[in-house]
Amino acid sequence: MAPDTQISTAAIEKLEQALVKKLDAGEVELPLLPQVASQVMALAADATADAAKLSSLIHQDQALAAHVLRIANSPAYMPRSPVVSLQHAVAMLGINLLSEIAFTASLKNGAFQVPGHEDHVKLLWRHSLASGAFGKEVARMRRVNVETAYLCGLLHGIGKPVVLRTVANLAKDLKVPADRAMMQQLLDGYHTRVGTLIADKWGLPKQVAEAIACYQEYDHATSFRQDCLLTCVADRLATHLLEPEALPEEELREHPVFADLNLYPNDIDQLLAGKEKALALVNAMNL
Amino acid sequence: MSASTAFDIVIIGAGPAGQKAAIQGAKSGKRVALLERERGIGGSCVYRGTIPSKTLRESALHLDRLRRASAAFEFSLKPDAEISSLLSRLEEVVQTHDTYMSKQLRRNGISLFHGRARFLNDRTIEMQTVDGARQHFTADHFVVATGSRPRNPQEIPVDHEHILDSDSLLSMIYLPRSLAIIGGGVIGCEYASIFALLGVEVTLIDRAKAPLQFMDPELVAQFVASFEQQGGRYLGGQSIQSVQWDGATHVVTLLGDGRIIKSEKMLVALGRQANVEDLNLGAAGLEVNEKGGLSVNQFCQTVVPHIYAVGDMVGAPALASKAMEQGRRAVRHALNLPIGDAASTIPIGVYTIPEMASIGLDEKMAGERYRNPLVGRAKFEEVARAQISGAGHGLLKMIADPNGERLLGIQVVGDSATELVHIGQMALQQGALVESFIDNVFNFPTYAEAYRVAALDILGQVAKRQTAAAA
Repeated sequence: MAPDTQISTAAIEKLEQALVKKLDAGEVELPLLPQVASQVMALAADATADAAKLSSLIHQDQALAAHVLRIANSPAYMPRSPVVSLQHAVAMLGINLLSEIAFTASLKNGAFQVPGHEDHVKLLWRHSLASGAFGKEVARMRRVNVETAYLCGLLHGIGKPVVLRTVANLAKDLKVPADRAMMQQLLDGYHTRVGTLIADKWGLPKQVAEAIACYQEYDHATSFRQDCLLTCVADRLATHLLEPEALPEEELREHPVFADLNLYPNDIDQLLAGKEKALALVNAMNL
Repeated sequence: MSASTAFDIVIIGAGPAGQKAAIQGAKSGKRVALLERERGIGGSCVYRGTIPSKTLRESALHLDRLRRASAAFEFSLKPDAEISSLLSRLEEVVQTHDTYMSKQLRRNGISLFHGRARFLNDRTIEMQTVDGARQHFTADHFVVATGSRPRNPQEIPVDHEHILDSDSLLSMIYLPRSLAIIGGGVIGCEYASIFALLGVEVTLIDRAKAPLQFMDPELVAQFVASFEQQGGRYLGGQSIQSVQWDGATHVVTLLGDGRIIKSEKMLVALGRQANVEDLNLGAAGLEVNEKGGLSVNQFCQTVVPHIYAVGDMVGAPALASKAMEQGRRAVRHALNLPIGDAASTIPIGVYTIPEMASIGLDEKMAGERYRNPLVGRAKFEEVARAQISGAGHGLLKMIADPNGERLLGIQVVGDSATELVHIGQMALQQGALVESFIDNVFNFPTYAEAYRVAALDILGQVAKRQTAAAA
């Protein structure tokens, strides 16, 4: 084994041990569901919700308000005329869509922040957005509800930024050099476990919690297997969209999840034809 | 590509019709291949239709019973109740059903294949598996049982998000606050009554003055009254001018009379369309009819005599019971076996709340065939079991010939109607007389007592007629 590889293996083992220790001790700092996101979720379930309530909620966070306006004006949402105010945005886009935008945006501001790893976080964030967008398309194809699919796609990797932050802090504390590949390896190995803890803490719907826990190993799902399969497909499509060199089309098509979700070759063609639409939504939400 | 595999019978579609066709073929000693494009067997009935909706219905009924039994407590469903919590038993039910059906197919030596089938000619089928591989099948007889899916008219933008069909409805996360349903058929009415009982503000819209046009109007009136008592409203005689998501909070439906209905979600339940697109029917010498399905004779034979079509794809009513009987019937005809007359007495069951069922002639049909047929009525208020169960509202109608002797039909609305109708079915098949319901002793207290009450009503009317005639 080359000396560099030896150092790297030793470093990752050290970091992994420290991470597992923290997880076992329940010491991984889980993010709170961003307050605005939580309020937006509550508002969406409120029979008396109206445009004024939503816009005043978003107004409480100036950065969020600016982001929402920027997203509302992006080509993906095709406003007929420039959206100039939050009230206007609500009227143009609707409470539900704006709630979705505000939820997504506040999530980015809260959970997806790891100082010093901005590029990596940005990729994770774009991946979540793309998974949400593809989740909707797969759901339409399978004739199941698209709202669930969006949430499952958006949140399936919610554990990743938390693992990233935890490992980054551990690397600093332990004075261990941690490169991107090393980080990615730990993210891949532990984000599901952390995601499950977050789902529990945030009280996410059962389908979403199960998709977070089992989207990679959907045969382990004890319920909502279809949501897990669908999220896995959305995750694979998102990776192909954003990192085609990491997951080329031929390799993507061979993934057993397509067959397990009963998607035939021409169904996959149809989903791949929607790549530009998904990319437009990712770019629109990319704060 | 592999060489063709020869079978005696190839069946396309493993829903209720295809399964029964396959089992009939296998039990007759034939080599049977069953081709199914989905992963599981059972068709829409198991995964998207009958079983999921009935599971939700049971939950709604449980909640209602709890509510009624605990009048002293404040009991209501949480406003943000997750639908999944009401369907918690569904996966178990579906899994059990799937296991049972798979075992049954294996036990009968049926070869099950997973893939999309298309005709290459009238004797050969090509199946594409989900990973793209292709396989050919030849057979002496083919049974097309590919079922149906919700029909979504182009002018209504079903997006499976705000405007849903019966396939996507149950995958909503939360119960909506309000639901508009277009279509007063079986699916529309079943979901309307279930969601109304769950506390959703339901508006049911249909072109006809009353829903469920094929059912006895007296039964339907009782269903509508019960639905409205639960807070639902029925808007009959209405055309739909437009449906659109307002981009804000509601699905906005403009009716023909200018009225606007706003709802959080909409269910489009405007019938079903046959799954024929993948079949390449032209290659087999078949073409779809104006309703989008395949036309068949009474033996379910298409214009190509060795190709049969059964189940939803030959038209309404889209009942699993009818589909099963057609599957059995088609294969028996193909194999020159006696067919029997079970098809003439297939009951209709509608799982609304309250449920409805019918067998044989109803009052209107009997009136067209006989002069002054007799109609015996048993209100559930007169049946002790219904009182005990707290299901006081219900009605059993017994239709008899003008002499009050021969039983012609039974219609029931109320608790256990879909079970209760089978007594009438057996009586009809055996040619039982009305009097036999009085001569026989039923358990007490049971709903079956309604048969005796209705029979006594008929005998009372006979006596009155005789007195009037004598006078």
